[in-house]
Amino acid sequence: MSIIVSSIGQGILWSILGIALFLTFRILDFPDMTVEGSFPLGAATAVTLIVHGVSPILASLVAFVAGSLAGFTTGILYTKGKIPVLLAGILVMTACLSINLRIMGSANISLLNQKTIFSNAFLQSLPRYFDMVVLGLIIIVVVTAALIWFLQTELGQAFIATGDNPQMAQAFGIRTDRMTIMGLMLSNGLIAFGGAVIAQSNGYADINMGIGIIVIALASIIIGEVIFGNLSLNERLIAVIIGSIIYRLVLLAVLQLGFSTNDLNLISSIILALAMMLPQFRKALRLDGILKKGVRPHD
Amino acid sequence: MNKRLLTFIGVIAAFLVVAFFKSSNDEQSQKGIPTVGILQLVTHPALDQIHNGAIAGLKDEGFVNGKNIKIDYQNAQADQSNLKTMAQKFINEHAKVTIGIATPAALSLAKAADGQTPVLMGGITDPVGAGLVKSINKPGGNVSGTSGDSPLQAHLDVIKEVVPKAKTLGIIYTSSDHGGTYHAKKMAKLAESQGFKVKLYTIASTNDMQQVAETMANQVDVVYAPQDNGVASAMKTLVNVTNQNKIPVIPAADTMVKDGGIATIAVSQYQIGYQTGKMAGEVLKGKKTATMPVVSVTKGEPVINLKEAQTLGIDLPDKLVQQAKENGEVIQ
Repeated sequence: MSIIVSSIGQGILWSILGIALFLTFRILDFPDMTVEGSFPLGAATAVTLIVHGVSPILASLVAFVAGSLAGFTTGILYTKGKIPVLLAGILVMTACLSINLRIMGSANISLLNQKTIFSNAFLQSLPRYFDMVVLGLIIIVVVTAALIWFLQTELGQAFIATGDNPQMAQAFGIRTDRMTIMGLMLSNGLIAFGGAVIAQSNGYADINMGIGIIVIALASIIIGEVIFGNLSLNERLIAVIIGSIIYRLVLLAVLQLGFSTNDLNLISSIILALAMMLPQFRKALRLDGILKKGVRPHD
Repeated sequence: MNKRLLTFIGVIAAFLVVAFFKSSNDEQSQKGIPTVGILQLVTHPALDQIHNGAIAGLKDEGFVNGKNIKIDYQNAQADQSNLKTMAQKFINEHAKVTIGIATPAALSLAKAADGQTPVLMGGITDPVGAGLVKSINKPGGNVSGTSGDSPLQAHLDVIKEVVPKAKTLGIIYTSSDHGGTYHAKKMAKLAESQGFKVKLYTIASTNDMQQVAETMANQVDVVYAPQDNGVASAMKTLVNVTNQNKIPVIPAADTMVKDGGIATIAVSQYQIGYQTGKMAGEVLKGKKTATMPVVSVTKGEPVINLKEAQTLGIDLPDKLVQQAKENGEVIQ
């Protein structure tokens, strides 16, 4: 029972990454590789500050700023430097490794016996693993509510329009370059903040903790979409959170069934590839009518 | 709001509420044979040796997988997001003792164990620095085990014996490797205090080895390669370059001598694992980690590579050759 709670807690924490990637991957419609650099960047920043006596909450917020800077760099390379966005992300991600080493001064910093955002007395009084669940829920509710509010403002609408149709957005006088940079900053800021939270939950920051992050974040988005089908924009954000929890539960099931952990990455990739090809299968098999049953059309 | 979405949220929330109130009596009694959890960061020759040694150590304490213990072996394959789930799986199985191979693995176990389940470190470079134990002699908590500290002074002595005229020592390590960085910096201090001029070189990945080695080969008299996964993987590339400049490489591990290092005093990773396994066995028999000093396995034996010595035209000291023949290893 408690290990399922732990997986749900981790799913909630990791959903910060899913939500953040949703901004670039689904709204702006491009894959942003910067995340594999901004995630450990956030972890490195927060953990280093905590070890130097800065308050954990402040350290996590500084991590957000550090991640935004990484996103800003990718945005400038892409919009002003005309470097293809995938490559711009990879360049920044690669550069982040050196920066993280500079920040941390070693490859691994431990947080055992340090104060973290999880050390608060109320959280520690909860049953085991509920500190992750409760704090994760508080964070994710605040983040999601703030995003839902933001996407309804004029600026947020302009941001969505930029992703939908850049030419048309420009015709309406929206400065699409600025919107793209803003989206990348917001997304990578959140990813770095997620890195800060997860490092505090894991008890350490490690230089190599960014490996495979983009697949985890993508998985929560794709699983949410495949399971819940057509949703409004706000519901899609919530579906990402549920998708992230389901992904962790699936991983747990794979581990509990005694699969070789060496195959985990292969299993994850195959599941994701199949899920992403689902629309094509539907077209080919004309199963649309059958699959849509039980899902209401767009609200 | 979408019905299916609400259903899912409802189910998860309901589960959490039930779990919240059930959590107090979740501690069911252990049935059957005790579980030993082994958590490894990534598949790698040195780490695999520790893993094999640990199983042998447990066996010599009388614990055999499938007979009187159940060994649950998990390998995160470098994806650190899995370490936490795996560590908690051990706790959930009420593992009697856990073994962590590589620093992130040991840290994940220590975090998941939360001061309860015993954690034994399998060759962790810097246990105190990583915050795993309070001190080497009195760990004071649920963590103990072995530290895989390289016998640096012994390595420096080998350098002095093999290349007596050397003045400038080049040390090459991987910047993202915790152990490599730690040993390289420690060795630099040690060598400088004994009159060497030290130059440090780093690679970010094995792909940088060729260029960094070429730069280094023109600036140093002898190269030291610490206990470092990246350098160990790219050892052949390093030796190809240094051989052209007739510069010997003194590595930290026996596997690196096989790949073209000239000589070293090697602590066998298997031995480290074996010691960890024995300690795990003692914990299973009721010993407490808090009072078990961390064992630093530093007793090494000479390993020499005669073929490499011939290539470089270096005569290895007779004493070293003699010792290697008696208790160490000679690579022809």
